[in-house]
Amino acid sequence: MTIIHAPHPRRRLWLGIALAATLAPVAASAGAGYPAVTSARLAKAATDNGWLMFRRDYAGNSYAPFRQINTRNVAGLTLAWSYRIGMKQGFESSPIVNGRYLFVTTPLDHLIAFDAVTGKVLWTYAKNLADTGLKTVCCDVVNRGVALYGDNVYMATLDNYVVALNARTGKVVWQKQLEPADVGYAMTLAPLALKGMVIVGTSGGEYGARDFVEALDARTGRELWRTYSTPAPGQPGGNTWPKGMYKTGGGSTWLTGTYDASTNTLLWGVGNPGPWLATLRPGKNLYTDSVEALNPATGRRKWYYQYTPHDSWDYDGVNTPVITSLTYHGKRYQAIIHADRNGWLYAINLRTHKLIYAVRFAHATSVAGFKDGLPYTNNALRPTLTRQVFTCPSFLGGKNWWPVSVDPRTHMVYVPTIHTCMTMKGAPSFYKAGLPYLGETFKVVHDPLDHNWGALQAFDIDTGTRVWDHESKLPWDAGAMSTAGGLVFSGTVNGHLLAFDARTGRVLWRSPTLASGIIAPPVTYRVGDRQYVAILAGYGGGVPIWGGQMVKAVAHVPRGGELYVFSLK
Amino acid sequence: MSSRSSKRSAGTRTLQATACALLLTALLAQRGEAAGAPPALYTPAQAQQGHAVFERHCAVCHGRHLEGGVGPALTGGKFASVKAGFTVQQIFEFLSVDMPADAPGSLTARQYLELMAFLLQQNGYPAGKTTLTARIASGSTVALVYR
Repeated sequence: MTIIHAPHPRRRLWLGIALAATLAPVAASAGAGYPAVTSARLAKAATDNGWLMFRRDYAGNSYAPFRQINTRNVAGLTLAWSYRIGMKQGFESSPIVNGRYLFVTTPLDHLIAFDAVTGKVLWTYAKNLADTGLKTVCCDVVNRGVALYGDNVYMATLDNYVVALNARTGKVVWQKQLEPADVGYAMTLAPLALKGMVIVGTSGGEYGARDFVEALDARTGRELWRTYSTPAPGQPGGNTWPKGMYKTGGGSTWLTGTYDASTNTLLWGVGNPGPWLATLRPGKNLYTDSVEALNPATGRRKWYYQYTPHDSWDYDGVNTPVITSLTYHGKRYQAIIHADRNGWLYAINLRTHKLIYAVRFAHATSVAGFKDGLPYTNNALRPTLTRQVFTCPSFLGGKNWWPVSVDPRTHMVYVPTIHTCMTMKGAPSFYKAGLPYLGETFKVVHDPLDHNWGALQAFDIDTGTRVWDHESKLPWDAGAMSTAGGLVFSGTVNGHLLAFDARTGRVLWRSPTLASGIIAPPVTYRVGDRQYVAILAGYGGGVPIWGGQMVKAVAHVPRGGELYVFSLK
Repeated sequence: MSSRSSKRSAGTRTLQATACALLLTALLAQRGEAAGAPPALYTPAQAQQGHAVFERHCAVCHGRHLEGGVGPALTGGKFASVKAGFTVQQIFEFLSVDMPADAPGSLTARQYLELMAFLLQQNGYPAGKTTLTARIASGSTVALVYR
């Protein structure tokens, strides 16, 4: 089965002679050579000409030091090439670029390699999902991209395979299934390549899975270690679960983690406990809704910080723990910046593992505040079998997975935001492998304090204060990327890629209307002397499925994936 | 000696086979099934109404023909396999509490039963004269296996 369609007619219409001009600066074609992706290059991915991993570098800043496209000339940004992929499900992949090779994944685990300059398709691959029912995939059949190491490209799939392919040819080098499909687990994340390993996590917090982070040998696929999010009795944290419930306790790890070289620490976000209704599992339910710090050599947990204790609202803590430096009240810190589903923006000291500050970036009532550096919840807003609550944000979060960007020049974090609250009540539940395990009913509704569904916001990471706020009638469910050109890029539900002035939030450029809404994060790369910005359009994901009142607001959005690459004329 | 032993073994095997057949019959009877004949748990009118409810509230995720989309397919061997081991009770209880995803529990009790009837129909279960009720659906240990 192939997903490749003929190039979209608009591609020719838009480009015309301009396309030929964009080809001129780079003589070599992608087929001429594939630069090996070494550990040394990955360690310096922040300054690489390509975009080598999920959010560019191990720190997860989604920031590129490129300035050819900048605040003065971004108005002249124009289409270099585009490619119509089709498929009506959500496109959440970050394009990954090495040399002239650009890789994107699609819904249902297809992978396409392009020439990053011309848009020519080099090869395609489609994971065979014919025997998979996709019964334990919660939030659209998405994939968020690939990892690169050596001559290989790696993807994780909905039926729990990690697949290594030759980056030049698309030929499968090895593949390994970590768990059976359809009984709780699924995989949607972009793997992380680190020190000769491929590290992945699992989805399944809505299906009673016992989720984990696993490292595989990048050359062979051999398992090196697996660390479960929910500890067994006798293990540290094991006493935070009622008897046996860790086995179905969730703690999904469905978004790519980051890596701090200065402390040799892998940082990985952990999702909600299962079932959702907390009264069924008294305790702190470690290490759900936390960032966990792991030794990458062994997977052993070094420390953790729990964002939401004993969660009853599905406030996954998977959002990227961005590693950056900041100065707070005159003191310099190496810190994690993390915008949580629970509506709070956290700054955590990487050395002491203590909270530096937390501020609300969205209407947040379930987590009511902080005492001694730890969050506390409003117990009156905990649902029970007989009590329906109204609380904020909704389980979709003040933001969902859409990556933030941290700009070291402006000292700001750019946060995709949705303004929602919810009703929630306990409901009868039972565990059955292959079916959801929730124990709650719910309805996502408007935030009564904000009549817009979304926003892109900028916060000063040195103070935790909001600097600008670009409000949107529609939800803002796309990732952000910033550059040394003084720009922040992010996409809209109605199909525009926008470039903002990073300091002021002023919109400096708006793309033509793309084929569909945007939920993916943008990337940027250089080939020769030219800088490109790439984005996948293709609406879908969790919001149109679980979004309650928001579903109607996005029901009109056209579907179908298309990859767009922009550059200056 | 060996001959007697062999006879005894044959007799034992016959007894075991008979016992197994009786046990299987008893099990199938308990689950409301006769071998090869799935039980009729709903009326044609319920399935017809269920089709309409499905198109209005469910098809957007699961596809007009239950073939799957952003949500899983709800018919066929990949959905209702022997290995999955779903029962009517499990599917009905999940369906009536947690679906549709944008407004769980928002349909009427009657609509959920109609949806369950439609799902049974689309997975090869025959209609009959008995109306599917909440008591029957939520207590049914009948296996839901695509036929």
